[in-house]
Amino acid sequence: MKAETMFTPEDRRDFLLGTFFQLLVIAHWCVAFFYAPVDIHQGAVYRIMFLHVPSAFAAFASSLALCVLSIVALRKRQENIMALAKGTAEVGLLFTILTLATGSIWGRPTWGTWWTWDARLTTTFLLALMYAGYLLLYGSLAPGPGRTRVCAVLGILIFADVPIIYKSVTWWRTLHQPPSMIRQGGSTMDPEILGTLVAGIVVMCLYAAWLIRVRGRNLILADEVESASFQTFDRQ
Amino acid sequence: MLVISNLSFQFRHRRLFEGLSITAAPGDLIHISGPNGVGKSTFLAVVAGLLAPASGEIAYLVDGAKATDRRTYLEYLPAEANGLYLKMDAVENLLFWTRLRGLKLDPNAAFAALDPWNLNHPLLRVGFPVEKFSTGMKRRLALARLELSPVPGWLLDEPLYGLDQQALSVFQNRLRAHLQRGGFALLVSHDLEPFRGLITQTIDLAKRSAP
Amino acid sequence: MRASPWQQYAVLVKQGLRAELVDKERIVSPILFALTLLLLFAFALGDLDDALRLKVYLAETMLTALFALQVSFSRLFEPDRQDRVFDLLRTYPLSHTSLFLAKYTLVSLLGSATLIPTLLFGAFLNQSPKLQLFSWTVVGIALLALAGLGALGVLLSALTLKANARQILYPLLYFPLTTPVLLAAIQSSRLCLEAGGLTPDVNSWLGLLVAFDCIYITLGILLFTELVDES
Repeated sequence: MKAETMFTPEDRRDFLLGTFFQLLVIAHWCVAFFYAPVDIHQGAVYRIMFLHVPSAFAAFASSLALCVLSIVALRKRQENIMALAKGTAEVGLLFTILTLATGSIWGRPTWGTWWTWDARLTTTFLLALMYAGYLLLYGSLAPGPGRTRVCAVLGILIFADVPIIYKSVTWWRTLHQPPSMIRQGGSTMDPEILGTLVAGIVVMCLYAAWLIRVRGRNLILADEVESASFQTFDRQ
Repeated sequence: MLVISNLSFQFRHRRLFEGLSITAAPGDLIHISGPNGVGKSTFLAVVAGLLAPASGEIAYLVDGAKATDRRTYLEYLPAEANGLYLKMDAVENLLFWTRLRGLKLDPNAAFAALDPWNLNHPLLRVGFPVEKFSTGMKRRLALARLELSPVPGWLLDEPLYGLDQQALSVFQNRLRAHLQRGGFALLVSHDLEPFRGLITQTIDLAKRSAP
Repeated sequence: MRASPWQQYAVLVKQGLRAELVDKERIVSPILFALTLLLLFAFALGDLDDALRLKVYLAETMLTALFALQVSFSRLFEPDRQDRVFDLLRTYPLSHTSLFLAKYTLVSLLGSATLIPTLLFGAFLNQSPKLQLFSWTVVGIALLALAGLGALGVLLSALTLKANARQILYPLLYFPLTTPVLLAAIQSSRLCLEAGGLTPDVNSWLGLLVAFDCIYITLGILLFTELVDES
């Protein structure tokens, strides 16, 4: 078999789409660095927000996607949907870690500390732990319909918990002491900054969706390879 | 009547059996045969409802109509386990499983059920945890439970495992009585001698398995 | 012949209780674990003045309770795992809701048997002449927390039933999911003890606990059947 026949039209489309989204991310960074004005309070440091906030959106959108995929997996009983769900958890974990890292780096110059029990950061931290738990559970179960069901149930449980965690952590902070973080309130934000931010969120979510799709297809492909090897084995 | 039509099972990518159709009528003892690893135990687990088939249908017909839950009419005995609460005594185990079926059973009836299996000793039946039983005693208790269950269909996976000569003949008689009462059984067993004359049909899974 | 869901529920609860009572270790060990942990907390924290003592009492007792409950939840299905009892249960014509509710009842009873002694001992070990620590309101709050934790506990036990690394997976899934309960229980009891009653702040925390309970009991009933039924 020649190498080029290994690429299906779907592969080619995924590749082109991926390149396009990567270029969009780079373009957005250019906008973030050169178009958005300098913040009066924070200076240029605030620009990390254009990476931090979209990552956080992608991380939390992944938990929604995980829940939706889990419900579909329970209804349709399809292994392929489970592959996408696992991809979602992996991408979600990736973006929660990115959010935590950028949040921490941003916190050092603005709050004077690498970590503070800010409600959003804390929720992200817990979300990262839950994604990790999901992936561990997935890894420790034998493949098959049983695993699909178990992981789908956990996916729904995680999504149901996110708003409760967020609410509880917010109250915990506000009842204790006033928030230490200077909030980027919507009304006080420059329209240029807001526009850049919203564009960043859209770009990042698209990119995350593409990552999930590619990862899901990867897992399905691995499954097909295993299936093919069984068929060869059976024929002998 | 248990009707299995066109049943296939796939363990991930490995197909075990395909296009299996069996009808078990009252009085039938159907022997599932085939070499090791062909899927005999898996087949019984699928019929019991523990595993989902890849395709095909399993239905229990009552007066020609399909029952809503075939589990109401089937009792499963796995090969390497007996489904007993090991910390509890024999009578508690019997009472639990029969009450779960909706049968009101008093301890005396449980004693009577233990009697033919040589387990009806005052020191054995109450206050003696099942985990201290020998392999054969546990199997005999599981068979006593099977017999107490008010169901027509028995799914027997190596029922003779651990039984001594005396228990073996008890089981033979009980199985014969069950079949004469209008019950039926699917059987997986490596030792066919005790079932001679009772088996009405043999299904060779090796012929129904994937190429 | 088929038992009604209520009969099944009653049979399963009775059997569950019997299985616990026959093996005393299963009831005693979470309480002993809680006692040990309270002792360790006292050693780690040393002498405290009365202002801090109240906070610390609630923090360490609730945390200890959360840990001890985890121990008891994670072993919920252990008697059924032996000798493939759980598989046999699945071959019976069982209502899955009955099974869930029976396990939930069992977990609530066992959880209370762990929770109340923990709170009592926590108050006992932290007592001082001027401070009144033990309060039935706090016990009520803890039981409200248990209502949701129990439902989640049953679900997680069923989730990890077939997982290889059950012992470590269970706490890894349980603790992140239960952080809101820990926060709500500690904050509401502290505010309650400080104010001496149910202030609006306390009520909003209790609202959160009730929301958690409702969500997880509903999800438990809806999703448990997915975990039991394979065919």
